Parts: sequence; structure tokens; C-alpha cells
Amino acid sequence: MSNLLRQHAEQIFGHELEELDKNDTGKRPANWKLSPQSVVTYLVGGRLKNGFEVSPKYIGNNRLMEIAVATLTTDRGLLLYGLPGTAKSWVSEHLAAAISGDSTMVVQGTAGTSEESIRYGWNYARLLAEGPSERALVETPVMRAMKDGKIARIEELTRIGADVQDTLITILSEKSLPVPELNMEIQAIKGFNIIATANNRDKGVNELSSALKRRFNTVILPVPDLMDKEIDIVKRRVESFEKTMELPAEPPALQEIRRIVTIFRELRSGVTSDGKSKLKSPSGTLSTAEAISVVNNGLAMAAYFGDGQLKAADLAAGIMGAIVKDPVQDKIIWQEYLETVVKPREDWKDIYRACRDLNT
Amino acid sequence: MSTQILGIRHHGPGSARNVKEFLELTRPDIVLVEGPPDAEGILQWLNHEEMKPPVAILVYQPENLTRSVFYPFAEFSPEWQAILYAKQNNIHVRFMDLPMAHTFALKQEEESRKEGVPAENEIANLVSDTESEELMEYKDPVSYLADAAGHSKGEKWWDHFVEHRQGNEAIFEAVAEAMQSLRDELPPRREKEDTLREAWMRKTIRQAEKEMFQNIAIICGAWHVPALTNMPGQKEDNELLKGLPKVKVECTWIPWSYNRLSYFSGYGAGIESPGWYEHIWNHPNDDGTRWMAGVAKLFRKQGMDTSVAHVIEAVRLAESLASLRNLSKAGLEELNEATLSVLCNGESIMMKLIHDELIVSNKIGQVPIDIPKPPLQADIEKTQKRLKLQPTADFKDYQLDLRTENDLDRSIFMHRLQLLEIQWGRKYATAGKGTFKENWRLQWEPSLSIEIIEKGIWGNTVETAAGRYAGNKASASASLKELTDLLEETIPAELPQTVQTIIHCINNLAASSGDVMQLMDAVPGLVSVTRYGNVRKTDTGMVLDIARNIITRICVSLPAACISVNNDAAQVLLGLFSKMNDALNLLQEKNCMAEWRQVLLAVAQNKLTAPVLSGYATRLLSDCKLLVGEDLIQKFSCAMSSGNAPPIVSAWLEGFLRGSGTILLLDDELWGVIDNWVALLDELSFTDALPVLRRTFAGFTTAERKKLGEKAKNTAIGKGSEVVEQMSVNFDYEAAKRGLPVIMKLLKLG
Repeated sequence: MSNLLRQHAEQIFGHELEELDKNDTGKRPANWKLSPQSVVTYLVGGRLKNGFEVSPKYIGNNRLMEIAVATLTTDRGLLLYGLPGTAKSWVSEHLAAAISGDSTMVVQGTAGTSEESIRYGWNYARLLAEGPSERALVETPVMRAMKDGKIARIEELTRIGADVQDTLITILSEKSLPVPELNMEIQAIKGFNIIATANNRDKGVNELSSALKRRFNTVILPVPDLMDKEIDIVKRRVESFEKTMELPAEPPALQEIRRIVTIFRELRSGVTSDGKSKLKSPSGTLSTAEAISVVNNGLAMAAYFGDGQLKAADLAAGIMGAIVKDPVQDKIIWQEYLETVVKPREDWKDIYRACRDLNT
Repeated sequence: MSTQILGIRHHGPGSARNVKEFLELTRPDIVLVEGPPDAEGILQWLNHEEMKPPVAILVYQPENLTRSVFYPFAEFSPEWQAILYAKQNNIHVRFMDLPMAHTFALKQEEESRKEGVPAENEIANLVSDTESEELMEYKDPVSYLADAAGHSKGEKWWDHFVEHRQGNEAIFEAVAEAMQSLRDELPPRREKEDTLREAWMRKTIRQAEKEMFQNIAIICGAWHVPALTNMPGQKEDNELLKGLPKVKVECTWIPWSYNRLSYFSGYGAGIESPGWYEHIWNHPNDDGTRWMAGVAKLFRKQGMDTSVAHVIEAVRLAESLASLRNLSKAGLEELNEATLSVLCNGESIMMKLIHDELIVSNKIGQVPIDIPKPPLQADIEKTQKRLKLQPTADFKDYQLDLRTENDLDRSIFMHRLQLLEIQWGRKYATAGKGTFKENWRLQWEPSLSIEIIEKGIWGNTVETAAGRYAGNKASASASLKELTDLLEETIPAELPQTVQTIIHCINNLAASSGDVMQLMDAVPGLVSVTRYGNVRKTDTGMVLDIARNIITRICVSLPAACISVNNDAAQVLLGLFSKMNDALNLLQEKNCMAEWRQVLLAVAQNKLTAPVLSGYATRLLSDCKLLVGEDLIQKFSCAMSSGNAPPIVSAWLEGFLRGSGTILLLDDELWGVIDNWVALLDELSFTDALPVLRRTFAGFTTAERKKLGEKAKNTAIGKGSEVVEQMSVNFDYEAAKRGLPVIMKLLKLG
């Protein structure tokens, strides 16, 4: 087992990518490692001709993945849009891994992301010593992807300031990156494209200009529509976490996961799962990703501080932490939920007690 | 002699094209089409120049209008193309399905056999019994083929493999073979009726052969093909068809619309996307560019910037999606997904617009004017004649006196049409006294006939249609206010069964609703319904029960709902409070009144109640003399005491004085309480209190304010009751007596 804390998608699933490559008979666009069909299979899972089972990376509407892959075969960029925790970055990483075999060309968008980190920067020592030259140029992931004909990823595009965002327009429409200082330009090799992610919940986002928007095809990733789907996602991700963390705890009972997913879904949608009574929704997004981290957290607690079995008490702190984001408002909402919904449920006594003990 | 059987899907544009090409190629001398032979007589209208599809053949049983069937046709229906070809080339065309005369009769027998089954399911029956079975027949079995081919839906598979296909060599043979294998594999279904129908089809074919037609073309649903290819013995079929019962049926053409052709109209044999089918019928070679251009045009009309580049990119994406899915051509799904992703930035709101305008589209057909009428229309015209209400293009006013029978019937009829949302008449407020008069203004518009046909799916007489329509609306509604309004509209329409349904719905909703405000909103309507009922001699006991029930629920939760509400919410509640109080006064129910007074007490006494509500409750209590004398004064000064924050005091006072102008004038006790309070205020607090007093008093009428002013002036100099005394001193009794007869006459008491 590798020593790395977290491996890249192409490292963890390298085996699957290899098998897909072997079984792939479809036509591959220039510089693509796989045919579009195989990329879709890699994302949504399935059985290959030789019987090899590909695990699903994205559980949800397969058609969304088809649109995403089809977009990347055209010359438009792909914008994955949605609430925090709806697997946008996850999908973008796997897309890059499957198409270019390399998910590392990534720029993290922040309020401080500057033009230099998207286009190119300068190595000032060399610039002073040798004057402007290609050797003094510091390549960004975007520039490298253009040169190699690979997929570049930009995370949280809407967090980047509007002026910096717009530097992407030339790259997306002309597929070239001019370097006026050296009187030259980098022209993208076939296979280059950009996957950007953005979320629509955060405060202080910079709306994309319509010029930039026009160069992206948008795919909105929704929160899972079915309870069972969501449980499935949490279960799979938790299991992979156990593997990487080498936790001694017993695998979590489906029952525990189901309860957490139920709590999250109910609070998120503002109705109980039987649809009978309405609830107030807390300020947090309560995404699937958060449910996953609650279970992981609980597992770690159980492994290191408990008896190795995932119990309600191990989960309580995590659940509260995920739900109560605003100490005043959310706390009331959570308490109301605890007293009116959790308490009356017969088989939820343990979780009610654990949460109530934490509250006092 | 050759007999060709063409298996098609109803309303399939590809099938229609194939049929047309096939007929033009083989030039048959007779065309047999799956359809009701009863309607053969009206086929002559088909190539009338005023006939514009979508239209439908309506077959109905005149003695029992609830039994009727629609056979809709669009331009892209294979049947339509086949009949059109026959009419244009002057060759014979015949319908070959089991005549509706027999089908209806069989159904009648069946129904009388299982007597006691309620008639409520009739609409459902109608739909499922008729055309939809054809859909079921080929839709369900085809989904097996789709499964085998890895498609999710049978219809999508058929679309891709038959309807959207470019080349069509041997397509009919392929379809026949596929259906044959399906029929071999699957267990037979719906045996009796299917066998009868197919036997009749074979009978029609034999008949044609006997008449020495040389080249016979048969157009039928794909599922029937094998049954018509492998002809069993003639004797067997004749045996089956012997002695079938028969009833009288009538047929007519009616205009149809794409909307009703789609799934959402409650009509079974629907297709999801008539607009899209029309597009591929008209432009079979479109690669999506023309469609996308249409979408862009629609978006621009809605004020959304859509460039040519958008269209190009969307078509490209649709094409790469199609190739990713191994399709030869982008279908509607690919185009929709491309639109969503490129044109709508992933937001699905605009897709609804595309769905309504383009995919389904709102096209309405037209039939020649000199064609016989559909049943609901016939019923309306019959009733119009009976009640002497002529439809006119210009408006005409009627004043109905509900005490006379004819006028009552007219009013019932108009109310039913209103329930059906057929806007022929509008009701106006009457000027006179009493609830036995109604004013109506009637104006007929040609577009109403479409409405009537549309409502025809709910029933064939105004009574049944209105009843079912309102009942359906009631069960779909989730708002109490809406339901009580509906109840108010339904009671004058004299539909006791529907009224029951609505009351049932109200009861259910009231039980599940936790929102006191919603419940309070519903009460005035219910109470006014009970009042209406008296005039119309309908049984209002049930409504009364519901009203009591809801009032009890309100009384339980209202005191809590008045606690810690903000100003705006309190104002809303205040309005509801006064309406509620009026309603209860109107209802005159002892128990309810007692409960209500308890609530008022609770509201008034709870210190946490919003002050404006607390004040109002106190006033209402004093109005009904539950809080008098010292108690009232104590309560008032307690609320007004300077210990309370000024905004709370003023809110309380606002509630207390709400709508009390006349009461203040007449109730000396109340007057005294307020007067004393004002007198005790020091200058500063008085200035503080002024705005709210002013605001409250502004709500009174000018006359009230004037009189109040006078009263204040008089009391100020310590002669409270002297106004009255002075008046009685100077009163001229003789002069007054002379005026009495006139007043009696004015009041209609004499």
C-alpha cells in the first residue's frame, strides 16, 4: 500500500483505466486515452466485454455524464455547477483522469487567484539575470495542458475575480495563449479542454460574464433524488475511506448510514421522509459529501476511542457539527427536529439520547 | 391478387411516411384502415378544404352519452395519410375494426352483469377501454424488444428504429416478424375483445377479397399484423361474430389539439411530443439545425439573448451526444439535453417553455362548420333551448328570480357552466335586497365550443361534467381557501355528490393543516355557504358540521398562534380575527360562541400575546358583555399603564379601538374608560399617544368622527348625557307622528 495520504484518481483506479483501454474498440478523439463511450463507462460503472467490473464513480443520472463527455468532444469547455458537495470536483477529477490519464493540471480558484496563476508567470531571478526568454517563463497548469493536449481543471471558477476569469476567454475561443513579452503564443494541441466547477450557494461569488458563459456548456449536478441512491453513495465512499485510512473499525451497518442520510435529507428538504410534517431547514447545505464525512468521522471515533463498532454516540458530534453552522438559528432548528422528529421514532432512541447529551 | 399488411404505430410520423410512400408505389385499389366502420359515412369530409388536422372522430351512443370514444388524427398519423391517399385517388377506403355499435353493446351487457359497480370509474373506463388498449398492446410488448436492445423505454426504441429511420426497405416485413415473435413468446392478453376485433378485421379483408379487389392495402396497429397474416378458417370467425348485440351510435368530426394528443390530457392513446412529430413529418431530413433555430426563435421572443453561435454549439453537442449513444441522428432527447446545457446554462425552467410551445405545441385543428355536434355541446344546446337562453354574439342581461322554477334552473345551469370554466355568463352583484335574485350577463363566443369539447372529457352532460370537473379539482387542491371557494361555487350549481366530495376534501385538509391562519381564512366562506343553502333549500347540515369542526380546531390552536408574532403577522391575524368574529356572529351557534369566547379570554389574558391582538380580544369581550365595569377598567388601565413600553401601549389601543366608532358613540361605559384614560395622561405621554390615536380614529367614518367630537366636547364640560336629554326636551312629538307613515313605507313595514 502506498504511503500517500490521498491518491489521484488515475492512481487509485489505474487498473480500471488499463482494463478499459484494453477493451476499448471505439474511436478515440485525438490525444484521448479512451473513447468517449469508455469514459462514460468509467464514470458510471459497468461490465466490460471480458467480464471486468468497472466501479461506478458517479451515482446518479447517467445522461448527465454523457452530456459532460459529449461536451468535451466538442470545442466548448465544461462547467459543472451545483450545490457544494454534489461531486463536482470528484467528477471533474475523474473526467480528467479518464480522458488525459492525468488529473493534476488543476488551478484552485480563490478570491486571490491572479492572472499569473492562470496564464503564465515569471521567474524573476532568471528574468533579471537573462532578460525575457522562454526559460524565464513559469508555466501554469493551463499552459501545460495546452502544450500537452490534456484536460485542465479550474476549481471554484466563480470565486475568482471577474477580470481574471475573463483571461479564459481567449484560451477557450482561440485555443491559444499569447505571450506578448516574447512575441510568441502557445497554441493548444488537440485534446486540450477545460473543466471548471462552480457552486451556486456561496456568498460573494463572481457571476461569469456572458462572454465567458457562452464558451461553456453547463451541466448542473443535482443532489441525489432518491434516498437509496444517496445511501449507496455514502456507503461506497465510506468504504473507500476505510481502505485508505486503514481503520480497524467494523464496516458501518447500513442502518446507521440510513439514519444519517435520513436526517440530512429531511433537514435539507424541510419535510419528514413520510412527507407528513414540515421542518425548518438549517443554513448549511447538508450535502451528500457532508454525510460521508460524518460517517467517516464516526468510524474514526469508534476505531480509536470506542469499541470498534459504529454507535450512535460516535456519530452524534459529527451530525451536530454538520448541521449547526449558525450557533443561534441552527441550534434551535436542530433542537426542534430532535424533539419533534427524532424523539418519537421508536428505534432512534439511542441517537436521540446521544444528541441530547451533547446539547446540554 | 395481392394483399399487403402494413403494421404501424398510431401517430407515428415515420410510419406515416412509410405508408404514404408504399401506397404511392404499389397503387392499391382498396385501402382498409383500423378504425370504427360506424364512421365510414363521415369519411367524405376528410378532404374537405376546411378540414385541418388535428381532428378526431367522435363515436357516441346517443341514448347513453357517457359512452363515447375519440379517434384522433394528426397530419402525421398513418391512418390519416392512408385515407387521404384513398380519397385523393378516388379508390375505396374502409374501416375494419369491430364496429363501436357492437363494442358499446358488449360493454352495456357487461355492465348490467356486474350491477352495483359505481359509475365513478366511468371516465377511466372510457379511456382505458377504447383507443388506449391499442397503445397498451404495442407499447407493452415492444418494451420487451426495447429491453433486449438495451433501451429504457419501449416507445423510445420504436422511435429510433422505426419512426426516425431514413431508409425504409422491408420495414413492414421487419415489423411483422418482430410482432409475430412477440405474439409467439408472450402469453395472450385481453383475449375476448381482441379476438373479436381481429376476427372482424379478417372478415372485412375476406369481404374485400370476395369483391374481387386486386390490390389490397391494410393499415393496422403493428400488434395486429400476425393475426391478419395467418388467416384461420372463415367459419371460425363467423362463429365468433355471430349474434353480437348492437346499439345505435352516432359519429362526428371534432377539432382536436396537440395538447390533447399528448399524454397529459387524461386521454390514453397519447403521444408525448406531437409538436416534435410534426417537425419530423415536415422536415424528415433535419439534423436538428431547423429545430434548434425554432428554439432560438422562441427564446428570443421571450427576451432571452440567443446568438447563432449558441445554435451551432447546441447542434454540435446534440450530434456528439448521438454518436456517443450510437445513434445515427440526434433525437429529441439529445436536442433537449443540448438546449439545456448550451442555451439554458443548465437551468431547466426554460425547458418548460420549449415543452409547451414546441414539443407539445398548442396547435388546434378545424372541422367544416356543417358537421354534426359532440354530446356535451348537444346537451348545452338542448338545455339552452329548454331554458330559453339563446347564445348571442352580443351580450344580454338577465335578472333571475330564484323563487320561480325556470329561473332557478337557469341559475343552476349557469353556475354549472361556470364551474366548468365555460365563460358564457358572468354574475353581477344585485342591487335589490335578499339572496333570491341574481344578475347575469351572457355573451357567446365561438372559442367557447373548444372549451366545451375540452370539457367533454369530463362527461357528456353539463351536470356530470361539472360534477366530475369540480370533484377532480377539489381532490387536487391543497389550499383550504380554494376548497371553500369551490364549495361556495358548487352549492348553487346543485351537485350534491360533488358537494360531498368537496366537504370530504375540506375535512381531510383541515385535519392535516397546522396553519391556523389558513383555517381561519376558510371559516367566513363556509359560514356564508350555510346561509346560501337556506335560500336554495339544499341540505347544509354537513357544511355546518365542517364549519364547527374547523372552528373547534381554530379555538384549540389560536391562543398559541397569537404569541410572539411580529407586527405584520399580527396585523394579518387581526384581520382574520374580525372576520372570524363576524362569521361566528352570523352563525349564531351557542357552542361555537362559547368556545370562541374562551379563546378571546385566553388571548386577552396571556401576557405574551401580541398587544394589538390582546387589545382587540379585550374589546370583543367587552362587546359581548363578558368583561364589564371594574374588570374592564382594570384591564384597560393595566394595559395602558406607563410601565409598558409606548409601542406596546399604542398597539394594544389600536386593537382595542379597531372598528369601534359607533360602539364608542353608544356605549357610555367604553367611552368613559377611554375618556378617563385620556384625561389622566400628562402632556408628554399625550403627545406620544397622539399618532396612534389619530391612526385609529382615522379608520372611523367621517360622520362617526364628527359625532365623537361632539360627544367629547359635551363630556368635557361634564354634561355627558345631556345631549340626549336636550333632544327629548325640545322634541316635537306631533310632527314626528306625521312622519311615521312615510318611514314605515320606506322600510316596507306598513
